[in-house]
Amino acid sequence: MTNNPVQAHTLPNGMLVLTREMRNAPVTTAWIWYRVGSRNEPGGRTGISHWVEHMLFKGTPTMPPGTLNRLIKRNGGNLNGFTSLDYTAYYATLPADRIELAFRIESDRMINATFDPQEVEHERTVILAELEGYANYPTTWLDEAVTAAAFSVHPYHHPIIGYACDLRAMSRDDLYQHYQTYYMPNNAVLVLVGDFQTSGIMAQVERYFADLPVGPALPHLHAIEPEPQGERRVMVQRPGPAEYVQIAYLVPGCRDSDFAALTVLNAVLSGARSFGGGGVPTHRSARLYRALVETQLVSSASSSYMPRIDPHLFELHATVRSEHHADEIERALLHEIERIQQDGIGAEELARISKQLRAQVTYGSESVTSQARLLGAWEVLDSYRRVDTLVDELTAVQAADVQRVAQTYLTARRRVVGHFVPTDQSQGDGQ
Amino acid sequence: MMSAAPFLPEPVRGGIGQRIASTVRFTLPNGMVVLLLPTTATPTVTVSGEVRVGAIHEPAEQGGLAVFTGAALGRGTQRRTFQQIVEDTEARGCMVSTGSGGHTTAFGGKSLAEDLPLVLEILTDMLQTPTFPTEEIEKLRGQFLMSLREYEQSTRYRAALALQALLYPPEHPYSRPASGTRATVQQISRDDLEHFHTRYHPAATTLAIVGDFDTDQVLSLLETLFGGWEPAAAPPSQTLPPVAPLTEVRRTAVYLPGKIQSDILWGVHGLERTHPDYYAALMANLILGQLSMGNRLWENVRERQGLAYSVSSSLDAGLSAGPWTASAGVNPADVERATVALLHEIEHFVREGPIDEEIADVRDYLKGSLGLRLETNGGIASMLLAIERYGLGLEYVLRYPSFIDRVDHDAIAAVAQRYLHTTAYALAVAGPPLDRQE
Repeated sequence: MTNNPVQAHTLPNGMLVLTREMRNAPVTTAWIWYRVGSRNEPGGRTGISHWVEHMLFKGTPTMPPGTLNRLIKRNGGNLNGFTSLDYTAYYATLPADRIELAFRIESDRMINATFDPQEVEHERTVILAELEGYANYPTTWLDEAVTAAAFSVHPYHHPIIGYACDLRAMSRDDLYQHYQTYYMPNNAVLVLVGDFQTSGIMAQVERYFADLPVGPALPHLHAIEPEPQGERRVMVQRPGPAEYVQIAYLVPGCRDSDFAALTVLNAVLSGARSFGGGGVPTHRSARLYRALVETQLVSSASSSYMPRIDPHLFELHATVRSEHHADEIERALLHEIERIQQDGIGAEELARISKQLRAQVTYGSESVTSQARLLGAWEVLDSYRRVDTLVDELTAVQAADVQRVAQTYLTARRRVVGHFVPTDQSQGDGQ
Repeated sequence: MMSAAPFLPEPVRGGIGQRIASTVRFTLPNGMVVLLLPTTATPTVTVSGEVRVGAIHEPAEQGGLAVFTGAALGRGTQRRTFQQIVEDTEARGCMVSTGSGGHTTAFGGKSLAEDLPLVLEILTDMLQTPTFPTEEIEKLRGQFLMSLREYEQSTRYRAALALQALLYPPEHPYSRPASGTRATVQQISRDDLEHFHTRYHPAATTLAIVGDFDTDQVLSLLETLFGGWEPAAAPPSQTLPPVAPLTEVRRTAVYLPGKIQSDILWGVHGLERTHPDYYAALMANLILGQLSMGNRLWENVRERQGLAYSVSSSLDAGLSAGPWTASAGVNPADVERATVALLHEIEHFVREGPIDEEIADVRDYLKGSLGLRLETNGGIASMLLAIERYGLGLEYVLRYPSFIDRVDHDAIAAVAQRYLHTTAYALAVAGPPLDRQE
């Protein structure tokens, strides 16, 4: 199986359109990506990108609140959106002959979203309820504490959903200004994957998007997280069912030449992942599961390393079994890192990861939605071309590279160690 | 033996409904049903199967036995240890898995085309010759106990558990969690698992394979792998004791220290998937609280009042009649207001029935979205399993639009009145202790 090539088209207003024909099923997906996320938020406005995303479902003068979902559902499709650190994305997947609806909706709300003051107020409490739902999980508290300790300068410091105090204080005009700054064709990428002919669909795209006005110059983000000067430790004490450990190292982002070696290191610790969805778990033959779950120290252990624009985190997570304690588990996790730093990894481990990666990429190609997600995310992060070179990039990594990045980046100096320790339940220590 | 080779049509071009209708359905002499649908879009294969044995077949005092047994199948077989299973599959980037719920034990796998024989061989061993090694069973128990500790402090889980206990009498399996409790899971022995496994039965088993494979080769492989599977007893029954209807409102609250949000769960008795009311109930549920962004509960609780981020209804219509529920996650101070709003919408829907526009919306949605559900091999395999489980027939996808079109306003209004009782229901709320709500 070979994928059809991706074609890139730039409209006169600067909007990039990526198309890939995929004729497996009579389905087409349209994604629109904006180069804005929690990374672009100034102090006092945390959560603004996510809130703007919510407001884009609240109507325009020609499509009152509720109509766009209705339109998509009546045509047998799915519609949703999400906000991340580096981007905000919206997608509609539809029967192939209905995809024009997605263009109608996205071109309209890129420019004409209403931000009705009353709708803004309703959404304020909806988002506070979303935040409170996350806060029911002890691991949310630990993750936010560790992330905050890891970044003192860069906006990666704050959670995507924002701080409750900022969510209570932000105004309709703050939101609208954020929207007008970032939701412009020159800051957007449209990705189309599915059952279409490129020339035909591009004519439709031009009809809807080519005449949209170019936006103002985009604010330049200049935050650089300084080199950490030593281990930082955080402890979260709340009611909870177990102790949890989270260790986070500041490491390079996806545009760095060490991205591939760090990704392979992550796979060595807890299996090769799919990019974009549709993959299978491969963690139980990897190092952390063998060293911590098989030995009954923890009920789950994993590592994570996501592609980000700026330097972000390489993390280790574990749920401590009740017979053990966080200190012990922290040592066991660090021991696994030290083993790689001292002894490196084996050729057979690399070979296994290589096969896993190829399989994961093939699974992802079953669905147009996963394909488009991958192309759009990579275009915002770096370049859509990375999608087709990623497997080669990763399989070119040598064992020595993996050992070197472990030695360079997974150091005490660069890490934050977090423990979640439950408080006594009987005291009802809530808030 | 499969001496009479079944007629094997070429993969049919054209609509997915037609292709599903062309699925090869074959019954092995021991009663196991095999469904094979080759597709060639990607060099991958999805295997999805189920044995219709689950938590409803376990004794009340052994809660979690079916789930434990289902998970333990992969912990070692006569041919491979757990570590070998993991090594052999993950090294090739393929997956095998098993797991049980209330009525069924699911098993499945996903692989590149070249690794399908390996996946089938391991799944066969997991189903037929698991060894339940003591050491592995203890590791698994430890993981279950930790998960149960985490569940015990989940507001959603605790609200669901409380609702089940309000809706079903103690002797009914739906009154208990399929996962058991820490106390019951602690007591389950290796012998219990081995004994429960003898209830797995080929005549209660379906296997669907969708993807890039050769039908002849796979059929003969399956005959070798599963042909010798002889059951110990008769297949287990899926019939559950009847449940007396609720005659009053039953409410309960669960207090969990440290929680920030409360989960509200309203529920009544629903219906089974094969009930004649099913399609009308499916559409009623979409209108009430399921058709994402735009249903009645969403419009009131989220859009008009801004009380919740998550609010929906859910119809659990399976091999038996599960609950029909409505739920919302809200600030503890808003529990009463949100409950009133949920009840108001349900009452209004029961009293007035659906409007024509809503009926048109759900009709179009249900018919139009089939294509999306059947995009991937996994989506098609799930459909094939459902077709077999509920006896829908391989022409089901082709006939589906007519089932939907047949449901009219009166049918939807009638099911709403028949099931969504507004004076006899159960309501469970799980959240922080009351004194923290002020």
